[in-house]
Amino acid sequence: MKYGVEQERDWNALTDGAFRDIVRAEVEAHHPSELRYPPRRLRWAENRSWYLRMAAKGWIAPGWPREYGGMGLSPTKLLIFLEEMERWGIARFQDHGILMVGPILMRFGTEAQRRRYLPPILACEEIWCQGYSEPNAGSDLASLRTEARREGDQFVINGQKTWTTLAHDSSHMIVLARTDKTAKKQSGISFLLLDLKTAGITVRPIRDIAGHDEFCEVFFDNVRTPASNLVGELNQGWSVAKSQLGFERIHIGSPKLPEYGLQVLQSVARARGVQGDPLFRDRVAQLQLDVAHLGDIYGHFAAIVGRGEALGPEVSLLKIWATETFQRIADLIIETAGDCGGLAGKVQMGDGRIEVLAPFYKARPTSIYGGSNEIQRNILARQVLNLPG
Amino acid sequence: MLRMLRDSAADFASLDAVRVRRLRGAARGFERSVWQEMARMGWLGVLIPEDHGGLGLKPGAAAIIAEQLGRALYPEPYSASAVAATLALLHGDNSALKQRMLPQLAEGNVIAALAWQDERGGLDIDQCAVKARVQGKALILDGSSRFVATPEADAFIVAARSAQDLELHWIARDAPGLACEAELRADGSASARLNFTAVVISADTRVASAATAREALQLAIDHAMLAASAELLGLMDCALAMTLDYLRTRVQFGKPIGGNQALQHRAVDMYIQKELTRATLGAAVAAMDNPDCAPQRRSAAASSAKARASQAALAICKEALQMHGAIGYTDEYDLGLYFNRALVLSAWLGNAGAHRSRYATLADAI
Repeated sequence: MKYGVEQERDWNALTDGAFRDIVRAEVEAHHPSELRYPPRRLRWAENRSWYLRMAAKGWIAPGWPREYGGMGLSPTKLLIFLEEMERWGIARFQDHGILMVGPILMRFGTEAQRRRYLPPILACEEIWCQGYSEPNAGSDLASLRTEARREGDQFVINGQKTWTTLAHDSSHMIVLARTDKTAKKQSGISFLLLDLKTAGITVRPIRDIAGHDEFCEVFFDNVRTPASNLVGELNQGWSVAKSQLGFERIHIGSPKLPEYGLQVLQSVARARGVQGDPLFRDRVAQLQLDVAHLGDIYGHFAAIVGRGEALGPEVSLLKIWATETFQRIADLIIETAGDCGGLAGKVQMGDGRIEVLAPFYKARPTSIYGGSNEIQRNILARQVLNLPG
Repeated sequence: MLRMLRDSAADFASLDAVRVRRLRGAARGFERSVWQEMARMGWLGVLIPEDHGGLGLKPGAAAIIAEQLGRALYPEPYSASAVAATLALLHGDNSALKQRMLPQLAEGNVIAALAWQDERGGLDIDQCAVKARVQGKALILDGSSRFVATPEADAFIVAARSAQDLELHWIARDAPGLACEAELRADGSASARLNFTAVVISADTRVASAATAREALQLAIDHAMLAASAELLGLMDCALAMTLDYLRTRVQFGKPIGGNQALQHRAVDMYIQKELTRATLGAAVAAMDNPDCAPQRRSAAASSAKARASQAALAICKEALQMHGAIGYTDEYDLGLYFNRALVLSAWLGNAGAHRSRYATLADAI
């Protein structure tokens, strides 16, 4: 079975420098410049053409093994690839299919599931979102109440998901649903694949305090999905989902957002003419070191992933440090912006226009989603420091 | 009297979130009918002497009203017009203009805003980027001003630099040569950027000559900082109360999340910041209400209050959002309204950092 387009060559056989040059040349030549460093999450209509190009090139899944249609990059090459994307300010798309669904199906899926779902993920024909959180199951995710009842060769889903990022741009959803109400919390949950065109699904965008609508509520009213869309064993969905949480944490823990924050900070500082102020320089240097050291520890965890080893609970520290560093940078941006710190949108500062509040609004929810930082601290306290519960 | 004022303000000003949302980003950012209502309550004239149609109370009275308006997130420009512009006019030296305009301000027929900051903003009144030159018998204004509280004011009191020194001038919004551009703020309200191109003015509408302009402007701004701090106190109190309710009622892992000691301690830290704000605001009001208070002491008191209020409001709102989790980040939940107003008010008339540095300079000089 061929899953994606043929790779042009064995990337891992190239020197690191040669590989970097190839990636850099590609993005500099073809990535639309108006999409660089977007201040908000882009919608699929905006970055679709770029990612379709990446898909056609076979570059959509750099971390997937070649046998499944990925670039099959070694950890070092993967890091170079991601560095070049970030260096050029290329925003993610709704890439749960690449980052979560693919790896989950490779590990827990059936051959039939892989054949059905991996090719359209690689072609960006099917876009996936993640249906985990519910109104009353946030930090306490395992208390989720959306249920899936088995009827013949189908599951019938009823309930509600919320904070589903870009559900309105997605064609499919991974759903955690309760399949055994008698079992204790984690043990009665199953992992299902769902086509969002199925009858009975309502997707409602939620406007956020920055005025964007990146996340949605999704309601299920007797929604039927084939029993063959169960991933892993019945009632074992928690372990399936949990296997990817480490990857989510390492993703949120990337230095990308803090680095973007530092760039905005520098623009604001230039416009305000404060770069020379010794106190300001000290504060910026502190934040630069915070980001540099984040990069160091991120590299440490990325290498673990690269070796194919499992991430331990320690990875929670990465999420905490990355998100709170980003928040400190965003705080200093609005402080430095002075009177411009209360203005919305692109603000005239000096000779340019800067979205002064964008990093601030972007930074706030990072300590909430993907398992709140309070939950991450609980994990570290209990599972790493072995403190009593 | 002050107690009555507080009670009436508290009764009148309850949060109407539907109205607050409706007025965001709208061509009209606040309601004249509500402004008229505020005039009937006597609030617009609290600082205006009785012989000019006001109540003639001490400046602290405005802070009492501002706190209640802050609780209810009123978009009406109370601190900007009834405090800043009103005091600038009152402490200027044009009695004919006072005679004419103070009753209009008290009755709510005219809304005015101070225009004194340049493109970059900041707290130094000498930054003024509007120049006044004499041409024959007329006076001509050129230049620009930014961060003016509302583009919907009927008139602006403009700081302009003449051959003598700083002067203040009353300029109608529709004066030929005056262009007014709105800049959207984080809470959906707007501030104005004014451009003056050969705007012709007369001596009749000079609010303050060089003899009084500096002190009138500085005093007006100091009291507006105090009023903005009071608004921030009101809103942080509400944001904290919402959060405490949420901590008591939101159940995760089988118990209210407020049962977690880590969250209790953070809630206590929020409470401490709020109480510090209340205390420093009270001390600033006491100092500034004293007629013998030297200008530098008055400015230092205002900066002390605004530094704490700006910092505490942002800190409390950020923690409130974190403790609410995702629901707090949604526009349909009212916390975001407090959060965005806190961003605006803490930046307006100087953020915490600007006031810390102003306080340090003033404290050295006292």
